[in-house]
Amino acid sequence: MTGWVLACGLVLLLRADAAAGEPVRIGFEPTVSSAKAAPDSSLLVLAASSLAEVLPRLADAWRRGGGAEVRFSFDATSRLAVQALQSPSADAFFAADREWMDWLEQRAVVREGIAVAMAANELVVVVPADASPLATPAELTRFPRIALAGENVPAGRYARAALEATGVWAEVADRVVRGGSVRGALEWVARGEVPVGIVYRTDAAAEPGVRVAFAFEATNHPRVLYWSAPLSASRAPESTDSFLRFVVSEQGRDIVAASGFALVEPSAVQALPSVAVVQAPAVASAIRLSLMVALLATIAGLVPAVGLGWLLARREFRGKALLSTLVMAPLVMPPVVTGFLLLSVLGGGTPLGSRLASLGLPVPFTILGAAIAAFVVGLPLYVITIRGAFEAVDPMYEELSWTLGAPPRRTFFRVSLPLALPGIAAGAMLAFARALGEFGATVVLAGNVEGSTRTIALAVYTLLESPSGRSTIWVLVGASVGISLLALLGFEALSRRQKLHLEDRHGH
Amino acid sequence: MATDSSYRLGLDFEIPLASKTMRVKLDTESRAIAIVGPSGAGKSTILRVLAGVERRARGLVTFCGQRWQGDDGPIVPPWLRRVGWVPQEVLLFPHLTVRDNLGYAGPSAAAVEETARLLQITELLERRPRRLSGGERQRVALGRALLAEPKLLLLDEPFSALDRPLRAELARVVGEWCAERGVPLVLVSHDEADAEVLAEQRWHLSDGKLVRE
Repeated sequence: MTGWVLACGLVLLLRADAAAGEPVRIGFEPTVSSAKAAPDSSLLVLAASSLAEVLPRLADAWRRGGGAEVRFSFDATSRLAVQALQSPSADAFFAADREWMDWLEQRAVVREGIAVAMAANELVVVVPADASPLATPAELTRFPRIALAGENVPAGRYARAALEATGVWAEVADRVVRGGSVRGALEWVARGEVPVGIVYRTDAAAEPGVRVAFAFEATNHPRVLYWSAPLSASRAPESTDSFLRFVVSEQGRDIVAASGFALVEPSAVQALPSVAVVQAPAVASAIRLSLMVALLATIAGLVPAVGLGWLLARREFRGKALLSTLVMAPLVMPPVVTGFLLLSVLGGGTPLGSRLASLGLPVPFTILGAAIAAFVVGLPLYVITIRGAFEAVDPMYEELSWTLGAPPRRTFFRVSLPLALPGIAAGAMLAFARALGEFGATVVLAGNVEGSTRTIALAVYTLLESPSGRSTIWVLVGASVGISLLALLGFEALSRRQKLHLEDRHGH
Repeated sequence: MATDSSYRLGLDFEIPLASKTMRVKLDTESRAIAIVGPSGAGKSTILRVLAGVERRARGLVTFCGQRWQGDDGPIVPPWLRRVGWVPQEVLLFPHLTVRDNLGYAGPSAAAVEETARLLQITELLERRPRRLSGGERQRVALGRALLAEPKLLLLDEPFSALDRPLRAELARVVGEWCAERGVPLVLVSHDEADAEVLAEQRWHLSDGKLVRE
């Protein structure tokens, strides 16, 4: 806690300084310190995603007062912290909780004792804008799903602490779905995929699709404080310092308050109870899930991939280019975009999605969703390989078969299919490998739910934001690399087999 | 060779080739014709049109009064034409044994044995195509076509990979086979001897024109 005391001291000192000095503008003299910094060097600031609105405003004001240009990288604090440790090229860090700041201090990424609490936020329960009201934590138990931020993301941890303190955690724990960041959880509620979520007040205010139902009592969870600190590796320490001081200056505090944050009174920030301990995702369940999802996607893809591959290899028809483009699109689209589009078609609020749900096959947050994501993302490679296998078969084999009395369908099963068989198996292997590595579309469509959608890729991602769990990561990375390479070896062997298979004479 | 007046083959079609459009006009009652001419003239393409696997042809193909091909392409699909087509590039189904290649069109096992004996490939029956020589492959392809009980036999340089004595003998075997069953034959060859043995009428194809010699 010495860090905090020093930080408060710094704030007080700055303000006292200002009070004693110039009467016009209080507490801050940006021109002096930024003049010392290299004038053309911009700052890179890593910041919790819930500050994405307010920090650019602060930077703007600072620059107008003579500060440098500031670039931001917004993400969940946990991920940023790991990034700051591994590639220390940024100048300042804004964390959404104290624990991650401590973690950085312990690793000397941030010098001990210089972090400052620059803003506070509130934890609120949100519902879709058109939903019926609710007023108490106890009512949360009537919802089938509750959206929270990831379990290692501060917002996710605060929310869990609040649910525990109000006595409903035990009942709702298995209904929790985790978005990566607060934004992810908010998005689900706004789209109606999840009926209720717990997010920061500032995020809720920025999203017209949701309504704040109630706020948790401040005593129910550790206070949500944002901490700022310069990074030890900064190449522009003076400019950085100047910016951070501007953030807590009078002018800065006005901007922070105007953005919906609460200001931090030094007296309010003392005893900071530790939040829930980070949990490592189960390794065995992740590997099992990965294999199951990839296998489901591969089996489900077999008939469509063979059909599409054959159609594209052997038939000329109107719209062939369009069909080919549509099938191939997931190969080049960002998987996150694919996932978003799938969610728009199959989400619980869509006609198709609600129909599936009424049949007992809900897509979002289920293994079905993970398999669909893997299926769509794996299909292009599946089809492209099988198309190649059919194209490698001399069309004259099929023509000969026709003249020998076998109509197209019989020819397909007696000649085309057997001749392309190793290539089809190779396509299945490749699609399996791709499905195994699927991440982006899965996390958007199916979320990151332990035991039903947290595959190896998602488990590694989750572990990356956890301070502990490095050894677990290596187990999962090993499994992932091992299974993927095996699948690719299988692909290679089968591709070779396909070539041999088509040789009907020696050395031909 | 016995001539049955009910047989008639009529061709009157156009087809674009790489260099020019080929105009094919032929009307014959001969049951054994040979199409000869320089390589690349389009002889094999004519057989493909007869087999029904060539979609670019526009015009008439009539077989015994039946319209196989019209101005919009094939009318009777290849699987209903019952032609025994042996293309120049001999293709055997690589995933099937010689026996299964011969039996592809569904003849009886006895017929397969009989034809194999006729073409001297009995000892090859259990082999895979990739373990055959060029001449062996030609005989298997020929046997497969004969076993489809064709109404018309289309042979494209069928003996090119065989050595002289065997070549003459097989030409004789095929000639007899056709004569016994009354199956008409269209032979493409640039080998005078084959044409001599098998054909009673010769058509010459060059410069995109088919002319009776």
